[in-house]
Amino acid sequence: MKLFWGRAGAVARKEVFHILRDPFALAAALGLPVLMVIIFGISIEFNMKDIPLAVNDADQTRSSRMLLDRFASSGYFGIRRVVSPHQAVAELTDQKARAALVIPPDFESDLISGRQGQLQLLIDGSDNSTVGPVSNYVNRIVGAGAPALYDLRTRYLFNPELDSRWFVIPGLTVVIMAILSILLTALTIAREWENGSMELLLSTPVRPVELIVGKLAPYGVLGIIAIAFVYVIARAVFQIPFVGNLAVFGLGSLLFLITYLAQGLLISVVARNQQVAMQLAMVTGMLPSNLISGFIFPIESMPTFFQYLTMLLPARWFMRIARDTFLQGSGLIELKVPFLALTFLCFAMIFLATRKFKRDLEP
Amino acid sequence: MAEQAVIVRDLTVRFGDFTAVDRISFEVGRGEIFGFLGANGAGKTTTIRVLCGLLLPSEGFVRVAGTGFEQGDRAIKTKVGYMSQKFTLYNDLTVEENLSFIASLRKLGSNFYVERRKELLEFISFDRSLGTPVRDLPGGTKQQVSLAAALLHDPEVVFLDEPTAGVTPASRNLFWKLIRKLAASGKTVFVTTHYMDEAEQCGRIALMREGRIIALDTPEDLKRSVFPGAVFEFDPKTPLSFAEVAAIEHLDLFTFFEPYGLRFHAAIRDGEDWNRARPELECKFNIRRIKPSLEDVFIKTVEGKKR
Amino acid sequence: MNRTLLGFIRKELTQTLRDKRMRVLLFVVPVIQLTLFGVALSNEVKNIRLVSVFPPGDAVMQKIHDRSIASGWFLPVSTQKVFSDPFELIRSGTADAVLVAPPGGLTRALGRGDAKLQLLLNAMNVIEAQAMESYVSAIVQRTILEDLRLDPPEPSIQVNSRVLFNPGLETAIFMVPATLAMVMIITTMVMTNNAIVREKEMGTFEMLISAPVSPAEVIYGKTIPYVILGMSNFPLILGVAVFVFGVPMRGSLLVLVLAAFAFVCTAVALGTLISTFCKNQQQATLAAFLFLFPMIMFGGLFFPIENMPVSIRWVAYLDPLYHYIGLLRNIMLKGGGHAYVGTHILALGLMALVSVVWSFRRFRTTL
Repeated sequence: MKLFWGRAGAVARKEVFHILRDPFALAAALGLPVLMVIIFGISIEFNMKDIPLAVNDADQTRSSRMLLDRFASSGYFGIRRVVSPHQAVAELTDQKARAALVIPPDFESDLISGRQGQLQLLIDGSDNSTVGPVSNYVNRIVGAGAPALYDLRTRYLFNPELDSRWFVIPGLTVVIMAILSILLTALTIAREWENGSMELLLSTPVRPVELIVGKLAPYGVLGIIAIAFVYVIARAVFQIPFVGNLAVFGLGSLLFLITYLAQGLLISVVARNQQVAMQLAMVTGMLPSNLISGFIFPIESMPTFFQYLTMLLPARWFMRIARDTFLQGSGLIELKVPFLALTFLCFAMIFLATRKFKRDLEP
Repeated sequence: MAEQAVIVRDLTVRFGDFTAVDRISFEVGRGEIFGFLGANGAGKTTTIRVLCGLLLPSEGFVRVAGTGFEQGDRAIKTKVGYMSQKFTLYNDLTVEENLSFIASLRKLGSNFYVERRKELLEFISFDRSLGTPVRDLPGGTKQQVSLAAALLHDPEVVFLDEPTAGVTPASRNLFWKLIRKLAASGKTVFVTTHYMDEAEQCGRIALMREGRIIALDTPEDLKRSVFPGAVFEFDPKTPLSFAEVAAIEHLDLFTFFEPYGLRFHAAIRDGEDWNRARPELECKFNIRRIKPSLEDVFIKTVEGKKR
Repeated sequence: MNRTLLGFIRKELTQTLRDKRMRVLLFVVPVIQLTLFGVALSNEVKNIRLVSVFPPGDAVMQKIHDRSIASGWFLPVSTQKVFSDPFELIRSGTADAVLVAPPGGLTRALGRGDAKLQLLLNAMNVIEAQAMESYVSAIVQRTILEDLRLDPPEPSIQVNSRVLFNPGLETAIFMVPATLAMVMIITTMVMTNNAIVREKEMGTFEMLISAPVSPAEVIYGKTIPYVILGMSNFPLILGVAVFVFGVPMRGSLLVLVLAAFAFVCTAVALGTLISTFCKNQQQATLAAFLFLFPMIMFGGLFFPIENMPVSIRWVAYLDPLYHYIGLLRNIMLKGGGHAYVGTHILALGLMALVSVVWSFRRFRTTL
């Protein structure tokens, strides 16, 4: 056992030298997550405002102007006047407007004579995410003043003001760290094969598992430091609350990092060639952790089969841990499923990498 | 037409504050095998890269096969062939694909290319299929194919930067046969090496240290000028301790006393002192007079000066 | 065509296509990814776990609850825990939404005329929370109106809404073009970037420039093959998008191919530019991440660009993915507005041009 740590430690030391000698990698590992969190923390906002709305007012009366004033003062819409319904559609096609409102010529006379005033609303369906909000906002503006028969009060737990940042930043940390961890280790073993230095390592009595652990450790430390940086930014710059237990979050981070670093190593062992390793890292890291980890698109909305499939994704579990510890204050007991799953995936990755590596060494 | 193949005057190459090559001058005649010897970082590769048009000189005058940098780096590149230290064929391509890619890089006509390929493969006695992936070739054969690739456009001067690093002694011998054959056919061969036995086969060699040429001559003349006096080999009768060796070095009898395998090579400082001390030393050593090797020259001039 | 260029094209294509794993990465993986994400992803919020808290015999609340479940958006939660603290239900992850009736039940409260309902939502996912709220409020309104036997009060203004271009609001039609774009940029940019850095690392780059080649020959020689490769899987993934996912193809195929070509050129040119800054493949990988990650984030799939501060919106305008996703949706779904398509293809072309010119300035055929 002592020998194990001795040799794994030697491999780790060598890897530390590699990292320190390549300031680019070091800067990338520590700087990129912080940079990205700051950029996206500033820029992301789900609540729509100033949606470009093409308006064709064929009525040109007091009523139609009053209605448009209500649209303009709501803050949801930015009004672009067009001269014909035809032009309104053209605005949609050219993506100059997200929706178009057509007020027919007899709008006011209908209202005065007690008939319903007719409005036509055209919504651009090419971006699904805007259709719901747009039609909600329009109905709210047009229907304002209807009698209230009941009172529905909504309480938004864990994010009372529906602040997009509270939702995005913990998730973004997960996604960034997932990709970065894979990338950091995906090339390490492939590089040794390509440079021929692997033969040197193999001529020593170092065992596969020692090599794997030795290669993981330094990057694990690097990853934890990066997460700590991001945590500080999230708390200090973006004022995101952290109501959970920091130790639980830290433990989750560590497990998660090791799992992804091990996945990177597995890729590295399988690929043996840096170009293939990099493509595999991008394919298995970039898109899945962005798209099916529950970052933006809810997992519950997926078809059942895919819900199970996402269970293989460490990011899915850490997404839960990160958000729950930040906003909800869950403890280890409530998070036992994600923690168990993450631990299982972590050991599975290390096991697979070690076994595949052993196979390669046998003649 | 009697111009030398390579003329270098006051060549200096600087990288920032670091001077890699410091005002060196030399000439190489046509059909000569010219060797470059020196420790790593002495400036050999930098010099070769300049002469191949890969690196712009900071100062100085360079003329290779009648062209210079004033005609642009590409003018030089057309005239010379270059085989670098690193192995420079694509492992995942076949021999034919590698050669034909290089032919297209140099825009060789297809008839000329097919003709040259046949000649060169005969020259290196290549007996495998052209469709063999380079990855599957043994090390020595790869080296020979690399040479063929460097010669594909029939250059007047070829630069070989440590061409035999990492191949078997048998392949090295074979490779040097090719080099001699090349020189015999009128090509100028410019070679750097770590192996002394290879350096002995050069017509002339230049010793480099810290960016300067510190000696340049034929191997024989170099030995003569570095070791004007007699050189002896000391073969210890019993293994010696470090203290004993240090004691002998301190006798101040020698200008040079260096281990050579289990033996020692020594150059004496003064004949009379030596004759007096010799009988005592013969108790411990079998002593015989030898011709100094190039390695002795190298150690004395290149490494010895650091002390 | 220049003999050197032809040599380059032949060599790069041979090298890439000879490697079985690269063939898989080029032609199989994109199809798998497109299928996976096309089927799995949806921005429609579904399967919300709902608990309704009300006293027994509250008929209106029972109706609201049953209706919610029947709508398909909500899932019932097993009933043992139903009467615990609603806040705790959400905290423990048992439910996503809890609808609480007023004391004494909603039916009686309505009779008294002071019906106060409370809806508790797990708002960690902001988008989900907004969707849940609008579902619940619609169902509550409809049920209460029906119960009171009130005709819906005739609003003085009627809005006739029509959703253009994707009337069924099918998620795949929205998602697939964006996924297609992401898959394309990852493969193309990474491939190009690595192809150059690998030569530097292996030492073959030195051999390459020891031949009398011009910088243009090397740059075009290392980019044109990857434009070809990048375009080569386009018909395949487009086929999957159109025939498997039923994404309509309303615009001209020629214009679409032109847009794809402009995009691939930009991706390759950017890959080349990045590679002139990298010494080894690890750096190239991290650099690719540095570019690809923001590109995906600013591509318009995750966050609406219009909501961003103006200064940051300009960053999105520098994102080729933003232009290409826009182009794909515009051409495929809307038939391609001339002004829009023209502007954005031009933007892509401009980016490609700048990257190539910049690469030229960074590139030397001497060391």
